[in-house]
Parts: sequence; structure tokens; C-alpha cells
Amino acid sequence: MKQWFTLLNKEFLEMARNYKWIWMPITFILLGVMDPLTTYYLPEILNSVGGLPEGAIFEMPEPSAQEVFIMSLGQYQMIGILIIALSMMATVAGERKSGVAQLILVKPVSYFSYITSKWAAALILIVVSLFLGMLASWYYTGVLFEFIPFGTFMESFGLYSLWLILVLSFVILCSAMFMQPVAAGMVALVTVFISTIIGGSFQHLLEWSPTQLLPYVSERLITEKWPEHVWPATGITLTMTVLFVLLAIYIFKRKELAD
Amino acid sequence: MPLVTVENLEKSFKDLRVIKGLNFQLENGKCVALIGANGAGKTTTLKMLSGLLRPTKGKISFAGEKQGGDHRRLIGYLPQHPVFHDWMTAREFLEYVGKLSGLPTKKAKERSAELLELVGIADAKNRRIGKFSGGMKQRLGIAQAIIHRPKLIMLDEPVSALDPFGRREVLELLEKLKKEATVLFSTHILNDAEEVCESILFLHNGEIIESGTMDEFREKYHQSKIDLVFSQEASSFLKTLSKHQQIDSIQMEGNKASIYTENLKAVKEVILTLAAKENWPLNKYEIGSISLEDVFMKVVQK
Repeated sequence: MKQWFTLLNKEFLEMARNYKWIWMPITFILLGVMDPLTTYYLPEILNSVGGLPEGAIFEMPEPSAQEVFIMSLGQYQMIGILIIALSMMATVAGERKSGVAQLILVKPVSYFSYITSKWAAALILIVVSLFLGMLASWYYTGVLFEFIPFGTFMESFGLYSLWLILVLSFVILCSAMFMQPVAAGMVALVTVFISTIIGGSFQHLLEWSPTQLLPYVSERLITEKWPEHVWPATGITLTMTVLFVLLAIYIFKRKELAD
Repeated sequence: MPLVTVENLEKSFKDLRVIKGLNFQLENGKCVALIGANGAGKTTTLKMLSGLLRPTKGKISFAGEKQGGDHRRLIGYLPQHPVFHDWMTAREFLEYVGKLSGLPTKKAKERSAELLELVGIADAKNRRIGKFSGGMKQRLGIAQAIIHRPKLIMLDEPVSALDPFGRREVLELLEKLKKEATVLFSTHILNDAEEVCESILFLHNGEIIESGTMDEFREKYHQSKIDLVFSQEASSFLKTLSKHQQIDSIQMEGNKASIYTENLKAVKEVILTLAAKENWPLNKYEIGSISLEDVFMKVVQK
């Protein structure tokens, strides 16, 4: 256990030295406040770029606070996932490729600790960044539109973070699988995006799929009721997260470190 | 009592058999040099011993340890081109590796300070490793390999990348390490092996073609060597000599020639008489005993 914390400390120190602890939260906060701001100021923005032609009637429906907040989550779904994949794809693959893993793993370091400490450090960074980002989004939505009850906000944060943790675990699995960080990142991104598209197209067939967590969060925000299949989907998300991490350890252990 | 016993060790990469059945033992507290040309399989052998590569066949057993268990705490390993976390300082890295090896935090700090001093980079301890020169990285590499006082220290070409001063210092360091642990190091520089090691393993094309102590080699290849340097092409003078019975072989290279014999006295006389009679333009005449390099050339040619 002491060794695990030594490894975790090293991950945190590395994240501090390459400024991940600064730019990740800032990026997530910017992504969070973008939609409330642009939606609120859209009429002014349109005017400032020349406005609408004379006589054109343009009825803009006033979006609800919930809709604005859900749009922010859409940002994390695209750009957030991209950032997670790009910033974490090298976590194992990069150390293997450079050769520093040889120096570390010739010491009596457990493979379990090596992978899980990396996973835990990345998880903490991402969950903290996501929380700050969603909190900013919630606050601006509240100020500019209407405040969503804080409890509901926390519920949606909790549920949505599970989905991003699953994405992170898959990125780490890919990183343990491939020697090239870029290959790991590409495979992870393509797989995640394809599965969200499939999940979106066959919603009625894949009700328990982790890709449904975002639609369920949205439904919960708008209808204020829990969708029917949300708990099985949550259970499957958690199970898959654990499986991905275990699989990453298994694959990493079987790989020969030297080439 | 041997610390490590290696039996029928084999390694294949796809269809290529790189290591073809090694058998050897490493005695406690001895220094063993693994000698071979580039591509002979030295690095692969060391990586299997360190656990970084899995043997295709064969066994590696440590004295008093369970077969197939985790021997990593007994081993210190320095790869040929060590790579570190460039964003760490030398002190941070050593303390990190020390803690990973199971030292308590306080111990890891003390031992790191001690080792930084020992390998001579204490002045740079708070600098980022990314800014280190090749020689400093090599020294840091040695420090990280011995931080947990392993029983077996394995160094892959520890001096090849160093300048003459660095080389000297590392060899002296190896002398010190020998007192605490078994040292196995690979090299293609034969002089280094001769200087610090008692035992030598010759690796050629993935096989041990010769092994033993330096004294055993002298005994076995107890030929003497006469080196001649002419001011002209050597071959024109040595035609008659090459037919002489007592001479085992003559190696010629431009103006230089080396004559190998087991009967130094007789051959010496013959050469000197010939030289006087034919008025050889000799620049140098030297009698020497056989060096490791000569043994190496001989065993590889076999």
C-alpha cells in the first residue's frame, strides 16, 4: 500500500510539473461556461455582426435552464472526451516506449499498483476538472437563466462522471495494449465515438448501455423523474470500468517490457 | 554456493533463435563479465535474468528462492541506455526508486544522498535529469541499480558510452561493488573485463563458447606471442618462418605481425637469427603473454 501511494505521488507530481493540474480544470471550466454565455447573448451577437435583414421576423424560443445545461454536457461529450484521450493516452504506452518502464518495473513494483495508481491519479484529475466545469456551467446557467436545484445538479454530475471514468479506463486499457501512444489514443477515440453513435441510433435496443447515461441525465433534468433503465445502465458502467482496469493489468503483465 | 543457476536458457523472437541454450552459474560475491560481439545476445541474456524478458525455454533459479518466483528485489539492473523521468531531479528519482524498492522514506533519503556522493553527481542532485549529460545519466543509472543493496548487480555495457575519465571511475566503482554483491556486466571492451572480473563468459551467436577464470584462460591458451613491427610490408620477410614447426600461427596486418608459439625459447632464437641474417628492417620486437583479446579472437574463430 505504501508503494501504491509512492506511485500515486509520482503521478500527481508529474501532472503538476507538466501543468495538467492547471490547464485541465481551465479547459473544462471554459467548456462549461461557453453554452450558457453564447445562448444568452445570441441576440446581441447577431446584432453586432449586422443583425437580421429588415422585415425578417425571427422568433427565438427562450431555451430553458435545463436545455442550456444539457448543451454544456454535449461539449464534454465531444471535446472533453477528446482531451481525456489525448492527455492520458501516453500514461502507460509513453513510459514503455521511452524505456523508463524498464527501470521502474525491474524493481519489485506490483503491476497492479503500477496501473491502478495511474488510473486513480487520472481519475481524480478528471473528476475534479469535470466538477469545476459543470459547477461553472450550473452557476452561469443559474445567473443568466434560472437556477437548477443543486441536488439535481449533483445527481447529474455524479452520473455523468461515471461515463467519463469509463472512457478514461478504456483509454488506459488502450495505453497498456499499444506501444505507440498515438495508436492508443486513436483506437480509444474511434471506439468511444462509434459506440456513442451506435448507442444513439439504437436507443430502444441498448437501454442498459453506458452510452445511454448522458441521455438519461438529460431526461432526468427535463422530466425530473429517473428514467426506467438508469440503474442497470449505471451498474453495467461500473462493472465495465472494473473489467477494463483488470484487463489493462492483465495485458500489461503479459507483455514483455523490453523489445 | 552459486547465487544464480541458469539452465538451458533459450530465447526466440518469432522464428529467430537469439539465445541457444545457455548453462552457467554465478558465484556469490564474484564479478563475471559477459563478453561478446555486438548482436551476440548479451543484452537479451541480461534482460531475461532481470525478468524484463521471458525465456522461451530453460530455467533461471536463485539460491534459496522459489523457482519461477519474483526475484526482482534481489536484482539491480542498469540498461545499456537508461531512460529516466526527465522532469524529476536526480535526488527525487533516487528517492522514488528507493521507496519503490521497499526502503522506508527516511532510509530512501539517506541512501540517495549517500549514492549521489558515491557516483559523483551530488553537485547536480537538484537539477532536472532532462538536462543531464550522457555520463551523468550513466552514473545515476548505477546509483538507481544499487539503491536497495541487491545481491546481483547487472550492468549492460556500463562503460561503453563514457569518456576515459568516466570509464576509469566506473571501473573503480565496480571494484567497490564487488565487495557487497555479485556483479555481472556485459561489455565488448576486453580490457575492462580483464581488469575487474575474475570470471568470463564468452557469448557468440547466442551460445557460450568459452567460460572460466582469467587464470584458466592463461593456462589453456598458454601460448606466447611475439609482436614484430617492420618498416615495410611484413609478409615478405615471414615466408620462410611460417613453415617452422614450433610456430602455431602468424597473424599479419600491414607492417605488423604477431607470432604465436608454445615454445618461446626456440622460436625466439630462430627469429633473431633470421633477422640478423636477412637484415630485417625491424622497428619493434616484443614478447608478450596472451591477452583476453587474443583468446577472444581464437575462440570466435573456432
